Amino acid sequence: MVWQAIARKEVRGLIKPRRRRAGLALVALVFVLGGYLLPTTTASPETADLAPYLTGAVTLVLPLFGLLLGYKTIVSERESGRILLLLSLPHSRLEAVFGKFLGRGGALALVVTIGVVLASALVAYPFGSLQLGVMLAYLLVTLVYGLAFVSIGMSLSTFTRSGQRATAATFGVFFVFVVLWTELRAPFRIALDYLGLAGDGLPDWALFVYGLEPGMCYSRAVRAFFAGSEQGAYLGPDAPFYLGEWVALIVLLCWVVVPVAAGYRRFEVTDL
Amino acid sequence: MAAIEAHNLTKRYGTLTAVDRVDLTVEEGEIFGFLGPNGAGKSTMINMLLDFARPTDGRVEVFGMDCQRQSVATRERMGVLPEGYEVYDPLTGRQHIQFAMESKRVDGDPMDVLDRVGIADAADRAAGGYSKGMAQRLVLGMALVGEPDLLLLDEPTTGLDPNGAKAMREILTEENERGATIFFSSHILEQVEAICDRVGILSDGEVVAVDTIEGLRSAAKSGTKLLITVDDLDVVDLDAIEAVEGADSAWIDDERLAVNCSSAAKIDVLVALNDSGADVLDFTVEEPSLEDLFVEYTGGRS
Repeated sequence: MVWQAIARKEVRGLIKPRRRRAGLALVALVFVLGGYLLPTTTASPETADLAPYLTGAVTLVLPLFGLLLGYKTIVSERESGRILLLLSLPHSRLEAVFGKFLGRGGALALVVTIGVVLASALVAYPFGSLQLGVMLAYLLVTLVYGLAFVSIGMSLSTFTRSGQRATAATFGVFFVFVVLWTELRAPFRIALDYLGLAGDGLPDWALFVYGLEPGMCYSRAVRAFFAGSEQGAYLGPDAPFYLGEWVALIVLLCWVVVPVAAGYRRFEVTDL
Repeated sequence: MAAIEAHNLTKRYGTLTAVDRVDLTVEEGEIFGFLGPNGAGKSTMINMLLDFARPTDGRVEVFGMDCQRQSVATRERMGVLPEGYEVYDPLTGRQHIQFAMESKRVDGDPMDVLDRVGIADAADRAAGGYSKGMAQRLVLGMALVGEPDLLLLDEPTTGLDPNGAKAMREILTEENERGATIFFSSHILEQVEAICDRVGILSDGEVVAVDTIEGLRSAAKSGTKLLITVDDLDVVDLDAIEAVEGADSAWIDDERLAVNCSSAAKIDVLVALNDSGADVLDFTVEEPSLEDLFVEYTGGRS
């Protein structure tokens, strides 16, 4: 496998434009800023406090930059003809998709890691404390969440030949998942009620479906793992296991794997 | 084993047949020119060799390996200059060659390659700022990495000035002497004429002729025209000349004898003339240009 060559080239090209570097630095900055501000709100902050404190910012910034990193990967290479150069060399299309995902996901993972580590240090010094295990767990969950959007962006990039359409679809996904989703709960319940499938609240299976959105999964996992929350329709004592944080984590992992895999399958069977 | 072998290769886009049941064999060590007007199907054919496009029917092999099922293995033995590519704008020329070396898993100094294609002085500039000709040289350099057994070039002289085209020809000749098979498409006839061992002419998706340039000339109806100066035109028997096999017509043209004949019949005409008692003082041969042949084979759509 020579996908390393593609990933390396991808990173080299990615970090070259200053605008792109600035954007990536912004991601790390969000975490650092959180680490800087958190100690002003509480007397002896712990690493675990960072996670719920940052959820609002993270669920805005990571979808944005994840999608931005992913959505042009294939379609712009196709439109411009750079893909011909790539696939003239002995690479399979699988290596091309995998190498690009690795390069772009790796770039995002790097800045998130830098951000989380610096933020944890700021929380710990001088009055707080550092829990290394917690930091690693938080980093891991957050990385999975960010990579899910790189994956979604890349899949959008493989399903169309038109860059404009990919852009529109990306904007649509961002709008629905990040802006609109929390507002959809009520209409969803009313619609199910109309069909005679729901009463005053959503039934468990409907909660599961509604909770599949990556942001929902992420904040659920953060609340359960790092804030110790045991309340609400998802994490409360009466909720079935499939509404819990572990299943949310598995769903997040699926968001990383499934979109890019589906995109690859689509890309594999079409002419360039 | 043949370098390229296509059997019944067909590609249809909806109702349009871009490549129509092509059978073609390119032997190892040849320089093969693939000639045809724009839109004849040359690029589609090359795209199927590279698995950029999948055949609707038939198959194509490179060194006995199926270009679709063993696509990576076939491309491991190829160096490719595709058409309609774009370079990676932010990466330098050196990084491009480096990438090709990593992809083909060969070691070496990228500068040697850049030197060979004549853009060493631009090695550390972003390729986005290269001219079309420099980009073309760069991608040729990428194709040369790893001494490929087959060089596949789609319209290689696009964007090159005459010097660049000459340098390209010299590199291709060197590569061929090293043992590489060279397959390139072009709609520019002089280039094909200059270096090709054999030529295939594609028209409307069909291969209408495959032969050496010499062979194409002698097979073409518009044959060779001989203009012969003899000491005494009166002893020349036009009927006897026309009776020579391969000779088409003979007439007196401006104090000289003019004969239309196939390329192979030239000597026979001169011998017949000698036999009839005329002394040949001088003669010139007007071969049909490749352009004439091309127009003849493709029905004038160039």
